Amino acid sequence: MSRIGTIARRSFMIGSAAILGGVAFGYYMYRKPVANPLLDDLAEGQAVLTEYVRIDAQGITLITPRTDLGQGAYSVQAALIAEELDVRLDQIKVDPGPPSPAYYNTALADEAAPFMPTDEGFVAESARGVMDALMKFLGLQITGGSTTVPDSFEKLRIAGAVARETLKLAASERTGVPVAKLTTSDAAVVLPDGKTLAYTDLAEDAAGLDPVADVQLRAPSEWRLIGKPMLRLDVVAKSTGTQTYGIDLDLPDMVHATVKMNPHQLGSLDGFDASQAETMRGVKRIIPISGGVAVVADNTWRAFQAAEAISFDWAKTDYPDEMDGHWQALSDAFSPDAKDAMPRDDGDVDAALAGADVLSAEYRAPYVAHAPLEPLTAVVKVSATRVDVWTATQIPRFVQSNVARLTGQDDQDVHVHVLMAGGSFGHRLEDEVVKQATEIAIEMPGIPVKLTYSREEDMIHDFPRQIAMSRMRGAVRDGRVESYDIGIAMPSVVASQMGRQGISPPGPDAMIAAGAWEQPYRIPNYRMTAYRARVLAPISSWRSVGASSNGFFHDGFLDELIHAAGADPLEERLRLIWHDPSRKVLKAVAEMSNWGAPLPKGKGRGVAFCLSFGVPCAEVVEVTDTGAGISIDKVFVAAEVGRVIDPVNFDNLVKGGVVWGLGHAMNCEITYVGGQAEQTNYHAHEGMRMYQCPEITVRGLENADKIRGIGEPPVPPAAPALANAIFAATGQRLREMPFNKFVDFL
Amino acid sequence: MKLTVNGQDHEVDVEDDMPLLWVLRDELKISGVKYGCGIAQCGACTVHIDGQAVRSCQITASDVGSAPITTIEGLGTPEAQHAVQEAWIQHQVAQCGYCQSGQIMQAASFLEINDDPTDDDIDRVMSGNLCRCGTYPRIREAIKTAARTLREV
Amino acid sequence: MRELVFLMAMAVANTGLAAGETVAIKPPLPETVSREDGLGAWARIYEVTSHPRCANCHVGASDRPMWSGPSYGKTRPHGMNISAGESRIGVEFIPCATCHVTASGPVDNATPHAAPKVTADWQLAPVEADWFGKSSREICIQLRDPGRNGGRDMIDLASHLDHDVILHWAWSPGGGREPAPYSLQEHVNDILIWGVAGFPCGED
Repeated sequence: MSRIGTIARRSFMIGSAAILGGVAFGYYMYRKPVANPLLDDLAEGQAVLTEYVRIDAQGITLITPRTDLGQGAYSVQAALIAEELDVRLDQIKVDPGPPSPAYYNTALADEAAPFMPTDEGFVAESARGVMDALMKFLGLQITGGSTTVPDSFEKLRIAGAVARETLKLAASERTGVPVAKLTTSDAAVVLPDGKTLAYTDLAEDAAGLDPVADVQLRAPSEWRLIGKPMLRLDVVAKSTGTQTYGIDLDLPDMVHATVKMNPHQLGSLDGFDASQAETMRGVKRIIPISGGVAVVADNTWRAFQAAEAISFDWAKTDYPDEMDGHWQALSDAFSPDAKDAMPRDDGDVDAALAGADVLSAEYRAPYVAHAPLEPLTAVVKVSATRVDVWTATQIPRFVQSNVARLTGQDDQDVHVHVLMAGGSFGHRLEDEVVKQATEIAIEMPGIPVKLTYSREEDMIHDFPRQIAMSRMRGAVRDGRVESYDIGIAMPSVVASQMGRQGISPPGPDAMIAAGAWEQPYRIPNYRMTAYRARVLAPISSWRSVGASSNGFFHDGFLDELIHAAGADPLEERLRLIWHDPSRKVLKAVAEMSNWGAPLPKGKGRGVAFCLSFGVPCAEVVEVTDTGAGISIDKVFVAAEVGRVIDPVNFDNLVKGGVVWGLGHAMNCEITYVGGQAEQTNYHAHEGMRMYQCPEITVRGLENADKIRGIGEPPVPPAAPALANAIFAATGQRLREMPFNKFVDFL
Repeated sequence: MKLTVNGQDHEVDVEDDMPLLWVLRDELKISGVKYGCGIAQCGACTVHIDGQAVRSCQITASDVGSAPITTIEGLGTPEAQHAVQEAWIQHQVAQCGYCQSGQIMQAASFLEINDDPTDDDIDRVMSGNLCRCGTYPRIREAIKTAARTLREV
Repeated sequence: MRELVFLMAMAVANTGLAAGETVAIKPPLPETVSREDGLGAWARIYEVTSHPRCANCHVGASDRPMWSGPSYGKTRPHGMNISAGESRIGVEFIPCATCHVTASGPVDNATPHAAPKVTADWQLAPVEADWFGKSSREICIQLRDPGRNGGRDMIDLASHLDHDVILHWAWSPGGGREPAPYSLQEHVNDILIWGVAGFPCGED
């Protein structure tokens, strides 16, 4: 088909992303707010039925715009489209698609709007609608916040249904058989006589049609894929070494680069001496870039070696050199001047505590690195008329505009190819590596430049999880928790992160309070105050973000209050929680762990609960004080997600979240000495290893109306459940992570 | 110097101290072997040399000599999987998958010596292979499944 | 288990044969050495044997090497749940050589925190040479006892230090690790002084 044909067809395409309203009986209507980006690169004979489905004679490609960081996003997105499109997962390919406003993330707004996730009333819903419009405006094609599933659940099934109905219409027009008599199965339209017309065969006909805009989604009872165990699309490649990650990309004439950046985070470069590095084998170029120096060589190791041979004169930055200064800044933030928000104030805390026997404590959470096993990489090729970027990123739209700005080219001429990520945990919400690779590539036009961070560079320049401090007071009466006043101080992670993208988000930072203010407890006097500390070292979203520290704070001190009241930790939490789905996850872990059954001496059980990203999640941890260290024996987890799409992937992700939460609570922190991160590799930031990994039992509950993502919610309860279990076994309270500063682990 | 990788001879012109990892990845374009830490802390670069698991970031090209090298690509392929790979697929171990080449190579080499490992054996052997996604419970199960398969052969 | 035995045999065959003459072995004349000189030499020897570069792998009946000393933080067993097994080279589980690879030529071990390597197979010391956390007297008595020191006399001990390259690593550990005190030659000299003095141990 000619280019003119392609353009003419554009008006027939469904460029939908927004749902006008979930009307009765499962019918959905679309509008066309943004251009379908797939039409820009359409080849001869290709049909684009929605912005999520591309079919040509060779096959069917489903567009899965949320980046696969290891969470199985491609498979889940593909399954949602396939459920309605009637294709088997072995009949399709997936492609993350180009950066486009068409792929904005609706669900992120849910977390940004200041309403409790348990509040689904009219006001809350309409406020989310406002945020939704804002997000669409910004075109935030972001993977994060455990939003892939909630964001995609309807959108992608609708896309599949639209494509299916349009293909049926094409079959009807070709055969004369009415659409109502046609069915679909295994990537083909089935005629009443049993004959089939393959989708690939119908594609070109369908492309000439006005897509069917009015579709009915199938009832859950008709689902073939959703809710049943699936085989992840990437599992064979990832078990045979054939998966290509960002770091594996190899292009003709490509050169290998690495960088040494100022270890004083985001500081500038005052000078350097590369005279030795220049003479080293394989070194092609030494290029100063913003805040550091790049070495370009013919082999990654040679680039690493040469980078080590450069001496630097680094400028200092203005966050405190030593940790004392960081902790002092948090301590100073507990003041009325630094109050960011008081999102919860039930009863009268001041009056209740005035006459009471007050229990108080201070909790701390350190900076922690993301350290995905694949270090950050980007390949950039700058030509006169276009720029190509290959990288595993969660923020392709930001990457596109940043590269456009650096190269002076238009957004549309910057082609971002999103690659499979070897982990992220929030690391790939930053794009410094792409900006650096672009600066290098500008100096070497026409040549693809692959920038690979060494592990050391990756860890030293990780923008870590926020450092945070909490101060709490509380009181008990008649065996019950009566008052709980929790204040949390941290720098704003959202301001730090968005600030690097040139956006200053207005208003309070919901992440300072996340995991603490919205917990569904009915404590008579209950107050949560968020304090914004001064800007310290740059920080970034780390798996479960604010709740990763706040879940530990909130639940850890609640456990202290419950013990002070002499109540059972699980029973008292149950008594205090008003939200039924949250009660059910607690009841589930009680049953799974046989809570209350006596344990031998030296063993202890701890329970914790945290509602984050809209998901109530409870965990029971069982430990043994062996004398040679604490052994974590068992973990029981229950989470309420509305609906489990793939029980296998769900189980894997929950276990991974538990391991993540426990491992970092055990032994990880980033500390700044002389303004530089002390930890440079996994020897000093280890996380959990196989021998420390407990037996983990997982249960997904499906009682809530809203579907939710599971990537992050298992993380916040892990640390407090472990601390509470260690207390139960040893009588020692742990109020600061990492715990190995205070206890030994086996 | 000459290297034998997955049954094929290669002539490479590299420094004596270039780690095998980078010879494989950047010179021979064999990318199933992964760079994670460069200091034997993560195990992602594990290959077999003379059938024994070795961290390829620690052994230099010249240390290898004429010993045969096997990478994940030589252990099995998507079409002809090794028993360990089959088990990894059956249990859907991988999340991001970046560590899994190394995990599989470590497990395969161990099962050659002990095809009926206890949980404790597995914990002793596999704890040098870091998985940031936390797939350890599935790795344990997959190793037991693979061991069963290998015992039946 | 047949493979295991074979591998162990290989390990023994590889051990200690690679080194050349690295130190001078010249015992002092008996009349120049007093018992006090011998005890002084022993005190220095103990500084070496109890130093983390040596003691971390002299763990006695345990098959778990240790991580301790200035560059290792809190004293703890070798990370990653490492067990050297009865073979002392880890073949039952994960061979030491998986990470501490056997080098084909001299190495500087310059990379901090990487696994050190030498031109011999990395391994734990024999069970009898149990030094980690032991007192000066305990180590002294073990080291002079041919029944527990590999049947070595003074010259054999010095010669062992001369030949076994894994021991040499203690004085050139690289990567910012703290070396064992004194030098290999001084340590050998002390062994010879101690031997000539009749292997005195305190409280004999």
